[in-house]
Amino acid sequence: MRVRSLAGAVAALGALVLIDQIAPRLLNPYFVTILSRIGIAVIAAVSLQLVNGFTGQFSIGHAGFMAIGAYASAALSVFAGAEGLELAATFVPISVARVAYFPLALVFGGLAAAVVGIFVAVPALRLRGDYLAIATLGAGEIIRIAILNIDAVGGARGFSLASSAHPAVDLRFEGLGGVFAVAALTVLAIARLVYSGGGLAFRAVREDETAAESIGIATTRVKVEAFLVASFFAGVAGALFAHSEGYIHTNSFGFVRSFELVVFVVLGGLGSISGAILAAATLTAAPELLRGLGDWRMVLYSLLLIAMMLSRPQGLLGQRELWPISLLTRGSR
Amino acid sequence: MSLLEIRGLSVRFGGLTAVSRLDLHVDEGSLVALIGPNGAGKTTAFNVITGLYAPSDGSVRFEGREIGGAAPHRISALGIARTFQNIRLFRSLSALDNVRAALQGSRRRGVSDVLRLGSWSASERAAEAEARGLLDELALGAFADARADSLPYGEQRRLEIARALATRPKLLLLDEPAAGMNPAEKQALRELVRRLGAKRGLTIVLIDHDVSFVMNLSDRVAVLDHGEKIADGAPEAVRRDPLVIEAYLGRDGEDEA
Amino acid sequence: MENLLEQLLNGIQWGSIYALIALGYTMVYGVLKLINFAHGEVYMVGAMVGYYAAGFLGVADAPSIGALLIVLLASMVACGLLGALIERIAYRPLRGAGRLAPLITAIGVSLLLQNAGQLVFGADPKFFPPLIRSEAALRIGGIAVSNIQIVVLVTAILLMGGLQYVVRRTRFGRAMRAVSYDAPAAALMGVPVDRVILGTFVLGSCLAAAAGILVGLSNPKIDPLMGLMPGLKAFVAAVLGGIGSIPGAMLGGILLGVIETLVTGYLSSTYRDAIAFVILVLILLYRPTGLFGAPQTEKV
Repeated sequence: MRVRSLAGAVAALGALVLIDQIAPRLLNPYFVTILSRIGIAVIAAVSLQLVNGFTGQFSIGHAGFMAIGAYASAALSVFAGAEGLELAATFVPISVARVAYFPLALVFGGLAAAVVGIFVAVPALRLRGDYLAIATLGAGEIIRIAILNIDAVGGARGFSLASSAHPAVDLRFEGLGGVFAVAALTVLAIARLVYSGGGLAFRAVREDETAAESIGIATTRVKVEAFLVASFFAGVAGALFAHSEGYIHTNSFGFVRSFELVVFVVLGGLGSISGAILAAATLTAAPELLRGLGDWRMVLYSLLLIAMMLSRPQGLLGQRELWPISLLTRGSR
Repeated sequence: MSLLEIRGLSVRFGGLTAVSRLDLHVDEGSLVALIGPNGAGKTTAFNVITGLYAPSDGSVRFEGREIGGAAPHRISALGIARTFQNIRLFRSLSALDNVRAALQGSRRRGVSDVLRLGSWSASERAAEAEARGLLDELALGAFADARADSLPYGEQRRLEIARALATRPKLLLLDEPAAGMNPAEKQALRELVRRLGAKRGLTIVLIDHDVSFVMNLSDRVAVLDHGEKIADGAPEAVRRDPLVIEAYLGRDGEDEA
Repeated sequence: MENLLEQLLNGIQWGSIYALIALGYTMVYGVLKLINFAHGEVYMVGAMVGYYAAGFLGVADAPSIGALLIVLLASMVACGLLGALIERIAYRPLRGAGRLAPLITAIGVSLLLQNAGQLVFGADPKFFPPLIRSEAALRIGGIAVSNIQIVVLVTAILLMGGLQYVVRRTRFGRAMRAVSYDAPAAALMGVPVDRVILGTFVLGSCLAAAAGILVGLSNPKIDPLMGLMPGLKAFVAAVLGGIGSIPGAMLGGILLGVIETLVTGYLSSTYRDAIAFVILVLILLYRPTGLFGAPQTEKV
């Protein structure tokens, strides 16, 4: 690896440790929660940007994949992870066991979401435009209602991240370092995937499918790829959410959440990773900070969206990126 | 055996027959022009060859292999490239990226793109160099980083050709490449097409409804009218064919046989 | 057997509600190729306006057909205006801006109405006054049919019949059909496209308002979020029938209502809401143009 990349990685690691350790001591716990939510929103938004912004497929049921990731990883933790951790604690310090286990739970959530993603993508991506949007909306709702009917993960009561068999094991992972590390990795992965020679296929499909086919790009496969990668990361975001909140309910993964994610990528600019990050961060923080506005919050939110679409439909950044992204993707753009 | 062999091709859309029992062969290294009035079925024929439509009847063989009904990206991989009548560039991408998309877009994406180890960078640089070379060859070097839809019209048409060439085709289909060009641009285009055939050994099929444009360019001319082939032979012979003259003068008088 | 008849009757009752709402979706899609996500909220406003109108006009204490008609009229006028307002402010400026921006704006308007509704009407459910005293009016095949059910069905049929008349026998209806087939050509023929589109929104909104009132009659508990699910389901009904097709929306609505009621009655009620989406996915997979829709081809 080149010296510059190594230095960069070390610096990033240092920053993460700093955030993880210092932030909770300096900031009000409420703000720490907001930061954590921002991290999760960024992961979900950037993953959706791959499908909507870069591949041009209008998916509006993305929260369904977050739900899969959340519930699958939570189920893993409650029904297997707790026992495993307790066992491991006899060999190694519990903190080490937890640090080792946490990525497993995340990846499991991501993979579960990706598997469901295949089932949604293969049929849905045969459709275009409005029809695809409605299909993804339908898929998201079906997923949500299906989970709601699974009693083993709580059903209408929601699901707590606590194992009744192993009550002493803490299954929550609230460290900001973890959230931001995953967020950084997500941004890195998706940015590098898209801004590469092979990644040009995504944008080619967005620009003109017929022309893309004519130069040898298998457009359906590219769309499915985008969908899979996106649902994987959405699942990871859901898993992070489950393990930081400690309690999940399908109400958090309904159409309103899906729509929020769509707002992030559209307002940020369809086709801009930096835009999605900015929008996700701002729009996640603002309502929390403006909590005093109560119900007016959502009214303002929707007014903002409408005003944006009427006056600046290309969003904040359009298809442009801010320089940190090109930092990550040096070598091909 | 011809490089491209079309036998008895018919294409029907519901009640409309766009192409009717077309026989056409294209020898390797030759330049064949496909002409005819608007709506004659020329672009439809192209669309069948490149896999956008499936034949209703008949066969299309490329290098002896049947390709009728195959998916467009598979046909591209076999070595057939095309340009479009209505210019279908990747508009918000740069000229360079349009060509790179053709060079690299069909390769597999994955972890190597994220890790970016040594060999990855080398192959990316090589692809970029090849793309720039292609742009330079088509006098588009100055536009490499400009958005495709910001290019002047003639340059956009050449960019589409550059993109098609990037797939290293054996057969190049040009659909009305001279549309909307003034006589000087048409002459330059004629030179370019001739060069492509000669230097790269490309087999070229060219659609145009401007008969004079194709006259000095092609080895053979096939004429379609109302979906049927009404003439096929040397340019001079076709030009004087009474059926051809009637087909043209009977429709729009501006196109002179 | 009696149970089946009862289920069928319920299914047709709900189906006519879906049909009334679906008509609005399908007509707007026909002329604008836009999915008016906010349409479900217009239905909700219809019910709310009906509630307040009934209170204001004092008819809540004097149930009668006349009371129903007055409230119906008030609601239809209010929602017609609302529909016109939405079209004018949120959709018309985006005419020609591609498919994405209007769709997102539509979702935004939907959210706005839901949340503004919660602020204005209060988030708690209200009870729609009984504009017609409920009594068992008929016995068919051994089951009791209440007069409310009859009123709902008759009103729905009359409204749909009225719409058919407008679409098939009036100049406006002809203009609407022309714009659906080919808006630019219609414009060239002198059809006032902007006014036709506005009128289409008004018509659809009136029908949605009526649906709101009819639901208020039969299921009195109303709240500002009541439009979300029926809205989505009515959309599914429109797609089922073939989006853009008016007879399709009517048939799709009835069909969806019947299927939903039968499945809920005989299989499981917890999956009630999922049925519509499953139907949606199946339709999109196997017959995207719906029962009455025409396949579309793209010219290269």
